[in-house]
Amino acid sequence: MPTENLTDKRLSKFKNKGKDPLKMRERRVAECVELRKAQRVESILKRRNIEFQPVEEPLSPEYNTDNQQVISATIQEIIENVNSDCPERQTQGCQTARKLLSRERNPPLKEVVEAGLLSRFVEFLSRNDNPTLQFEAAWSLTNVASGTSWHTQQVVEHGAVPAFISLLASPMLNISEQAVWALGNIAGDGPSYRDALIDCNVIPALLARLTPDAPVGYLRNLTWTLSNLCRNKNPFPRFSAVQQMLPSIIQLLHHSDKSVLSDACWAISYLTDGPNERIDVIIKTGILPRLVELLTFEELAVVTPALRSIGNIVSGSDVQTQAAIDAGVLTALPKLMRHPKPNVQKEAAWAVSNIAAGPRPQIQQLITCGLLSPLVDLLKNADFKTQREAVWAVTNYTSGGTVEQVVQLVKCGGLEAILNLLTVKDAKTVLVILDAINNIFLAAEKLGEVEKLCLLVEELGGLDRIELLQNHENNTVYRAAQALIEKYFSEDAADECLKTEATETDFVFGPTEVQRRFDF
Amino acid sequence: MELNDANLQTLTEYLQKTLNPDPLVRRPAEKFLESVEGNQNYALLLLTTLEKSQDEVIRVCAAVTFKNYIKRNWRIVEDEPNKISDPDRTAIKANIVNLMLTSPEQIQKQLSDAISIIGREDFPQKWPDLLTEMVNRFQGGDFHIINGVLRTAHSLFKRYRHEFKSNELWMEIKLVLDTFAQPLTELFKATIDLCQTHATDVNALKVLFSSLTLISKLFYSLNFQDLPEFFEDNMETWMTHFHNLLTLDNKLLQTDDEEEAGLLELLKSQICDNAALYAQKYDEEFQPYLPRFVTAIWNLLVTTGQEVKYDLLVSNAIQFLASVCERPHYKHLFEDQNTLTSICEKVIVPNMEFRSADEEAFEDNSEEYIIRDLEGSDIDTRRRAACDLVRGLCKFFEGPVTAIFSGYVNSMLTEYAKNPSVNWKHKDAAIYLVTSLASKAQTQKHGITQANELVNLSEFFVNHILPDLRSPNVNEFPVLKSDAIKYVMTFRSQLPKEQLLETVPLLVAHLRAESTVQHTYAAHALERLFTMRGPNNSTLISAAEMAPFTEQLLNNLFNALAILGSSENEYIMKAIMRSFSLLQEAIVPYIPTLIGQLTHKLLQVSKNPSKPHFNHYLFESLCLSIRITCKANPVSVSSFEEALFPVFTEILQSDVQEFVPYVFQVMSLLLEIHTNNIPSSYMALFPHLLQPVLWERTGNIPPLVRLLQAYLEKGGATIASSAADKIPGLLGVFQKLIASKANDHQGFYLLNSIVEHMPPESITQYRKQIFILLFQRLQSSKTTKFLKSFMVFINLYCVKYGAIALQEIFDDIQPKMFGMVLEKIVIPEVQKVSGQVEKKICAVGITKILTECPAMMDTEYTKLWPLVLQALIGLFELPEDDSIPDDEHFIDIEDTPGYQTAFSQLAFAGKKEHDPIGDAVSNPKILLAQSLHKLSTACPGRVPSMLSTSLNTEALQFLQGYLQAASVQLV
Repeated sequence: MPTENLTDKRLSKFKNKGKDPLKMRERRVAECVELRKAQRVESILKRRNIEFQPVEEPLSPEYNTDNQQVISATIQEIIENVNSDCPERQTQGCQTARKLLSRERNPPLKEVVEAGLLSRFVEFLSRNDNPTLQFEAAWSLTNVASGTSWHTQQVVEHGAVPAFISLLASPMLNISEQAVWALGNIAGDGPSYRDALIDCNVIPALLARLTPDAPVGYLRNLTWTLSNLCRNKNPFPRFSAVQQMLPSIIQLLHHSDKSVLSDACWAISYLTDGPNERIDVIIKTGILPRLVELLTFEELAVVTPALRSIGNIVSGSDVQTQAAIDAGVLTALPKLMRHPKPNVQKEAAWAVSNIAAGPRPQIQQLITCGLLSPLVDLLKNADFKTQREAVWAVTNYTSGGTVEQVVQLVKCGGLEAILNLLTVKDAKTVLVILDAINNIFLAAEKLGEVEKLCLLVEELGGLDRIELLQNHENNTVYRAAQALIEKYFSEDAADECLKTEATETDFVFGPTEVQRRFDF
Repeated sequence: MELNDANLQTLTEYLQKTLNPDPLVRRPAEKFLESVEGNQNYALLLLTTLEKSQDEVIRVCAAVTFKNYIKRNWRIVEDEPNKISDPDRTAIKANIVNLMLTSPEQIQKQLSDAISIIGREDFPQKWPDLLTEMVNRFQGGDFHIINGVLRTAHSLFKRYRHEFKSNELWMEIKLVLDTFAQPLTELFKATIDLCQTHATDVNALKVLFSSLTLISKLFYSLNFQDLPEFFEDNMETWMTHFHNLLTLDNKLLQTDDEEEAGLLELLKSQICDNAALYAQKYDEEFQPYLPRFVTAIWNLLVTTGQEVKYDLLVSNAIQFLASVCERPHYKHLFEDQNTLTSICEKVIVPNMEFRSADEEAFEDNSEEYIIRDLEGSDIDTRRRAACDLVRGLCKFFEGPVTAIFSGYVNSMLTEYAKNPSVNWKHKDAAIYLVTSLASKAQTQKHGITQANELVNLSEFFVNHILPDLRSPNVNEFPVLKSDAIKYVMTFRSQLPKEQLLETVPLLVAHLRAESTVQHTYAAHALERLFTMRGPNNSTLISAAEMAPFTEQLLNNLFNALAILGSSENEYIMKAIMRSFSLLQEAIVPYIPTLIGQLTHKLLQVSKNPSKPHFNHYLFESLCLSIRITCKANPVSVSSFEEALFPVFTEILQSDVQEFVPYVFQVMSLLLEIHTNNIPSSYMALFPHLLQPVLWERTGNIPPLVRLLQAYLEKGGATIASSAADKIPGLLGVFQKLIASKANDHQGFYLLNSIVEHMPPESITQYRKQIFILLFQRLQSSKTTKFLKSFMVFINLYCVKYGAIALQEIFDDIQPKMFGMVLEKIVIPEVQKVSGQVEKKICAVGITKILTECPAMMDTEYTKLWPLVLQALIGLFELPEDDSIPDDEHFIDIEDTPGYQTAFSQLAFAGKKEHDPIGDAVSNPKILLAQSLHKLSTACPGRVPSMLSTSLNTEALQFLQGYLQAASVQLV
């Protein structure tokens, strides 16, 4: 599993569209290295089929042991059965393998591959005469493909892809469904298998099964597989493939099943996680109002990818952001900023930070739609990840907003909230806050209210904290704090080019040299 | 340089010499060593010496020399030669870890520092095996070595706590985690096991506990940037052990020292930090463990003693609880009634008790006690932490917490009532508890601004505070008396006026208390009460209401200054100032006596000024005496001069730097009161005021400018006639000031006064140079502040000398200069001018330029004419600067603008705003209309055509309005 943090990758596209190049907004740097566990909120890349365990037929102990000898014996038995010519024994062998591979903990994927069973399983996939055998083989291969890249590679290299694509058309729904699932696992492995599947025309074959009478369980698998075909970057799936899938994905976004909705949303989130041209393709489908509607759902599984998609879109161009605003995203965000799940709050704050990086009318809409108060609440009460995003929002807002807009934010408690966060244990966040404070001072300068702001900062305990930061171990932070203190809280130095000579008793009046030419 | 015995011997000799106290021996030796350090093998010779020398002193000396050598030379700076050869670098890295670990502690420390310097440059890329080499030592079981490794690791990793996230940094951390996290975890577990094994061996325990502390510090560094996967997977192990360690106690490790924190405290403090880090940054993942830590930390608090050595641990631990209990999703951890009760009873109440250390401070170190108790410099104290916890708990549990504490307060008060002289500390704690319970929001300016509604502050005041204030024996129970006074002060905004009025004479009486804290608090409370605002923005307490107590108040305040320890008490002096300001003319009868006392005080403190606030309020009080008295009777100014000038002369002559700016301000105030000519006593001082040395001190600049302005206003003609030779020096001051971005406006103040008050012929010869200087500054740095002052000045000049004179002098300096200034400065910038008087000057000046300057009509400047007019209309129609005039009475030192400036402006020496145009022009808009009318009649037809072709409609509409108001028409 790749351990990259998808959120940060997205941050790398942080908008940067200040009109004045000197006043460009802060960009966030892409991080490739991650210390954290991979995100748990993401949709799963590969899945093993461990469901459908009939209650009356619990797994017998031999399938559930970690004892290598027992496993070896079972595998030996499978090899013998599978390699025999007797269809019953073949089915029997496949079924044993499937059960072994379907146990919840430590399925012996590697052992099954190393036992050389895959070529037989792939062979069985074409046995239209024996649906049970087909089904058991497909299931086993699905589960092998759900392992690591190496496992998936084994399945592909044994020629399973064409066989599975043919199976999609199987009249037996359970077999077709298993093929959908297996192909989803292969697509989820990464861009190269994804594109290989697309090259094999998997998309038309999948879409052919997308019929009004398809059962919900089937549709869930199908949607998930489609979402995996939209997934991954470097490279992105090619435009033609996206165009092929999009109408169906849009259609699925109106389905009533939450699980279908969730994966369809994830598909959109993958498709919007790219350059602006990719975002444009999605916006053109007219899906934005529906995405905004999905933001208001109760189910976290729907809200998370919908919010991710919206977050991606508002990280695009001003026009794209405006499209999202016009679709009503600002009325949905306040509730999400107050969502009980920290991750939802974080993603919502991230979206706000991107909108705040936009032009002044968009900043104004943040105010009109009442986003300042929840933003300040997040700064005050949210968990750290969210506070970090909210701080970015404030810095972007104050760097691009008008004087009146900045004043508005200060009145809503934004200044107090960021001043309180100056003690946070993260140097970058502290620096971003100092930047915001500087922006607020620039606004105060325009209003001629620097002294008033100095007092306010002092009253709110901010001056003490900024002064403390002059001892910060991080040089950049310490210098930024010092610069603020020097600029706004102390005197400055003389203009060297206008030196005045002095004697004991007097200053000597008169220019030291006459300027060649004045030009203001 | 060969690595041989002879060279080792030479090195040893020189090292020896570097320790010689005689600089004649030491310096050449140091020079020599520096001169050979570029040679190959130098570092290895040092390492060999520190390893093999028989002389302990030489070994340490070699280690220090080695570390400094590494510090200076290891870093490879781009475009500079590599100062250490590659073979030496390789050899150093190959040996240093082992050497460090096997050396005695003093040398180990130096080498450990050297390793971290090298590591900062080379690790991980150029020193890939460092970590493995270190980790391998963990298994050795020698904790002397292990601690060396841990200390080095700590110095290598601690930068993770403050550096920005970057790909490079995180790659390094990842690498460290991959090789270090698992062994560190194993070591942590093994060390804890060993603590069990050696539970009775105090020496072993000491080493093991320092290891545990270092391990905990490493945990903090490694977990700082983000929560690493490894530590998330092993959170159970770490947190379980951390938790156990928090709850652990071992008699052997307890120290006898009451002040210095011991190993146990250090370890537990670090664990509190670790828990706080997780709670702040990784809340979601830490949630399952947090409740245990809350319990452990509060148990820790319950069982930790009152000794000073535990203060930091206790205050950290309480702050941890305070930060957790405010978060909505941890509310449930605290909401159980028993939990709340036990936190209140066992954590909060004990830490609010008045300790013997507090009692000592109250009596013997009252100044520090006051600063801590009154000014909130109590951040690390237990009381403050406990108070924060109360506030945190009140966020969700105000009702129950108030109820619990009410019970406590009552029982403590009952205890007190049984036997006050023994149990007075109970009442102190009760008052403190009520205060922290009731305070929700607080500012220095207003005291408590928001109170807990569940606490009946008035009732408590009547039943428990008032009796102490009324007690006839002011010197009994000084702590409780001080508490009572502080209560009034703290809740002044919450108590009804009648209760405050009832308190005033009691507070006046407490000014006589012997206890410094007590009479200081009384003075401070009065001062705060006098600054409270009433319904119509006047003072809440009026001079009339104070009339019955005036004499007593002034007497007691001045007498309090005579009490031992309070001779320079700033609170008392501030109260004097505030009383003067409140009482106004009511003090006039007392001034003849009081001015003597104040002057005497000034003379005393000028010998050795040590209390800046006291001195400041002393000067403010002097200013008030002068203003209030001279307002009633201006002639009395001479009696003040008589009283003050001897002291002032002394201050100026002995150059008491702290007081000089004040003296200038008071002199300005006095001089400004004079109605006619400037007294000769002032003129004698004039040349001295131009001395450059005075102007080098930034604090002198504003008051000196002010004083010179007063000189010019009262004696411009006198200066021109009797001190004309001083004019260049005066202009030199102006030149000096405009060179500084901070002081340029002061330079303009001076220049404006010169232009306004000096006879024109006295400065004719300098005019051109003045403008050249201004242009030079404009060219080099065109700040907004400078531009604003510049525009005011040129317009003032125009008003004074005429528009033609302005245009001619500009164009004389450089052809077309006048047009350039209009185009590049006046037109785009004039709207920035702020201040009513400043705007008026600009309006009148620009009107003159438009209507009294032929060049504007007849040369290429004509194209600028409509633009200048439009800019002027813009200046008129901009919204007025709506800053509220300062209500002087309420001004505080903290309120004066310009934080940390060396100049301390006296609020009560303030001067009225001066309008050089005055009544000559009452409405500049009308003046514009009339002037335009006059111009249009002089050249019929031209003005209307310029208006209609070039002025925008909006401006035109405004202009029509002015013309109508002036009842004139353009032709």
